[in-house]
Amino acid sequence: MPSQADLAARNKALDLIKSSMKSLVEQINEGEKPVLVIPKRTLSNTIYDLRRKMLLLGPEVQHRSFTDVNEAKKFMQTLLMASIIFDALRNNEYPTIRDLYYRGKHSISYRTVDGKRINENTWEEQRESDSVIRDLEVFLSVLREDLLILSKEKGKVVGNLVIRSGDDTIDLSKMGHGAYAIEPTPDLIEFVDVDAEYILVVEKDAVFQQLHRYGFWRKYKAILVTSAGQPDRATRRFVRRLSDEYKLPVYILADSDPYGFYIYSVFKAGSITLSYESERLATPSAKFIGVMMTDIFGDSVFRKIVKDKDSRKILEEITPGVSELKPKSPYLDESERSNFIIKAKTKDLERAVELVGYKVAEVCIEDKEVKNKVKKKEGLTGYPWFSTPEWTREICIFFNTLSKLEIEAMASKGLKFLADKYIPEKLSVGDWID
Amino acid sequence: MSELREVYRAVSPAEFFYKYREIAGFANPVRAVYQTIRELVENALDATDVHGIPPDVKITVRKADETQDFYQITVEDNGIGIPPNIVPNAFGKVLFSSKYVLRQSRGMYGLGVKMVVLYAQLTTGRPVEIITSKSGYKRIYYFKLRIDVNKNEPVVIEAGSWRKTRDWHGTIVSVTIEGDWNRAKSRVLEYLYRTAVVLPYANIVMVTPENEIVYYPRIVNIMPKPPVETKPHPQGTDLEFMNSLVKNTDFKTIEELLVKSFQSIGDVTAKQILQTAGIDPNKKPSELSDNELLSLINAMKTYDKYKPPSSRALSPLGEEIIKAGLKRAFNPEYVDAVSRRPGAYSGHPFIVEVGIAYGGNTPIGEDKPVVLRYANKIPLLYDEATDVISEVVKEDINWENYMISFPAPLLILVHICSTKIPFKGVGKESIADIPEIRREIKLGIMEVTRGLKQFLSKKIKEEEAKRKAEAVAKYIPEVAKSLAVILADESNLNALRKEIISKLTTIVARKTGVSFDLLHGIVKSIEAEA
Repeated sequence: MPSQADLAARNKALDLIKSSMKSLVEQINEGEKPVLVIPKRTLSNTIYDLRRKMLLLGPEVQHRSFTDVNEAKKFMQTLLMASIIFDALRNNEYPTIRDLYYRGKHSISYRTVDGKRINENTWEEQRESDSVIRDLEVFLSVLREDLLILSKEKGKVVGNLVIRSGDDTIDLSKMGHGAYAIEPTPDLIEFVDVDAEYILVVEKDAVFQQLHRYGFWRKYKAILVTSAGQPDRATRRFVRRLSDEYKLPVYILADSDPYGFYIYSVFKAGSITLSYESERLATPSAKFIGVMMTDIFGDSVFRKIVKDKDSRKILEEITPGVSELKPKSPYLDESERSNFIIKAKTKDLERAVELVGYKVAEVCIEDKEVKNKVKKKEGLTGYPWFSTPEWTREICIFFNTLSKLEIEAMASKGLKFLADKYIPEKLSVGDWID
Repeated sequence: MSELREVYRAVSPAEFFYKYREIAGFANPVRAVYQTIRELVENALDATDVHGIPPDVKITVRKADETQDFYQITVEDNGIGIPPNIVPNAFGKVLFSSKYVLRQSRGMYGLGVKMVVLYAQLTTGRPVEIITSKSGYKRIYYFKLRIDVNKNEPVVIEAGSWRKTRDWHGTIVSVTIEGDWNRAKSRVLEYLYRTAVVLPYANIVMVTPENEIVYYPRIVNIMPKPPVETKPHPQGTDLEFMNSLVKNTDFKTIEELLVKSFQSIGDVTAKQILQTAGIDPNKKPSELSDNELLSLINAMKTYDKYKPPSSRALSPLGEEIIKAGLKRAFNPEYVDAVSRRPGAYSGHPFIVEVGIAYGGNTPIGEDKPVVLRYANKIPLLYDEATDVISEVVKEDINWENYMISFPAPLLILVHICSTKIPFKGVGKESIADIPEIRREIKLGIMEVTRGLKQFLSKKIKEEEAKRKAEAVAKYIPEVAKSLAVILADESNLNALRKEIISKLTTIVARKTGVSFDLLHGIVKSIEAEA
């Protein structure tokens, strides 16, 4: 028997689908071609809202008309998907996107105008059915979780937090060595009681487990969350809700490399490909606590670069104030650095250029050969949400040292160092990037 | 070096042809069968449609000897018939007819049939048999005759007549020749088939030695306008003709001769021509010297204020007849024909007609259209490569400009009719490259092909519309079902689904301009499968 919250969500979703399809049938009844007006999910229609600090879908819409030859199949697929989801909602089911792919996949056998019989599949690959699920999300302006579609669970949480999920009440401080797996429908979770001062999101599952066993969350009154890599929707939504509803600050601890920086930005601003989710999933107040390049190298490398008048001028133009940032000393000494850092690969460099733009790379990379490698990214100006003096400094140091570092390295220096010095100290002095 | 003495002696025309039969198309036993049938069929057609009679032609080929390759070939027509007193000379005396009037016909001088008689005589020794009667005669006449080659005289072996019981008119000619029917058969059938294409107003039947019947029934009741006999045009004259004219005339003066014997010459023109030639208009025609005759011809040819030659002597097929013939032969998707306006070259009038067939059973042209060539309603089967029609098709027309890409089921029919077809060589199978004619062929082909282009582009548009409609219609049942699942209860699901299917089909039909029934067919084909 589904929980009350579950049933309520189902009825809401059923009504939503029904009313949207009703207007389509009304068009047909009036002899008009049926048209779905769907917000565009293209990169060009993805905008960064500077005020709300998140990636949002722009105002552009596409008119998916059934009588348009190029749109007819997508139109059919969209409606087919709507009917499958509708059917699953009505039957109290929880399909995954893979399930939906299989449920809708069948062949349409028709005779052409030339009399040939042709079999055509409603869709071939899951890519196609996934795409119409996204279309339906933006068309209905709901998230798939609201339609009771499940995704694989990846995120975990522990802390002084009591929740109600389904008809059960769960105390997340009593999970032993394990943790609560964040359910795919975080909106059905009810927060019963929270006793914490902030949320710490750790990119790496291994570091999460170490901090958990160490008792970090209990000692520092934190809710400890891991996304285990690229965060899924449920983890993002969970963090967002918890942060919203209890006004808890969110700190992200990720690898010190462009990939880690990007994961932070997904939590904070949303992802570029799925910008329509940001409004519900992004946590614009999330702060990047580490690991920073300046935690590894300090700021001496950067100061050397901005000593050069031309370089300083260029960097100041990109992010004013970059040469007057507070000085920083490293957490690692010379020998630790040489032990822990990893050489950056071309892919890391390219990703870094995408974050802050080519000009920063041009100024900060010393090695000519390396510079040539990123030359093809010339023209990129970086993402607006990375356009801050702090990020320019961080990534400039990355370009200059061509080094990256995993969080595990900080734990290697000593779990005690990570849990009792690195994190608390940075939190107390406010050494984060907003 | 010894002095050679050559003996010259007069040879009768009959003897000449007897010795040089290759020229007339009797080079070998295969060609002989084909040529015999052709000559007799063309005479039969000249006796009918030239005189406004819808032709009924029956050809019978029969094995005439058990051991030898002798075949009796009989051709019967419903033509005007031949007066009995003319029959012996018409079939048994080789002569150049001194025709001073012109009109379009298939055979020009009636020479062909005499060659047939001679060839039969040479190979089987059997005489020609003729049965004939004209309309209004009370009797039917019968002749059996041969040719005395040395004397160039007919020898009547048997002659007779009997009373007509019905108003039959026409001619039946029967000859027995030695020939290779088996190898000639396909060629003969091709000839008949091509003849039938331009003669949809004729009944043509052939009975083969294997007792097969090939039948092309009459399918139209219209006939080409018969040609009208006209006087020659002065620009088309030559020394041979003028010589014969001045020697045999009864006119008193050369001026009168010119005015009365030629079209486009009146008193004023005649005087001008004679002045240019330096000849006294009152001179007696027979008294003209050779030099005077030459300068007269020169003056006649260079004078440039004539009216063009009259086309009344011509008998074009007409657009309807060509279209009907092509339709029967190929059941094409698109057919059209055009008769060009009359033109002239060197004083001879001509008309070019072009037909076009596309699709259906039209044969596939690999890199250019299939071409059917006709001269004065006779199909030209051989020497296609050197013919001006083939050259125009290959060189003068850019087919891509007409949305045609080969291979394509495209056929071009070209008919040239003239009082003098400019054949290349003696084979009479290919037409020479005369600029005036080439131009008309080109314009004619362009004219009919433009129509085809419009047809094709319309067809492509329609096909495109159909494809587009199909690309949408095939999803109608799925869309309707999805909407019904969401909006209907279990009880009325099917009713709503059907209602949406019908409404969507109407909407798609209206949007694409494709018929409801066609789209409904696609939708139903899906329903049937489901």
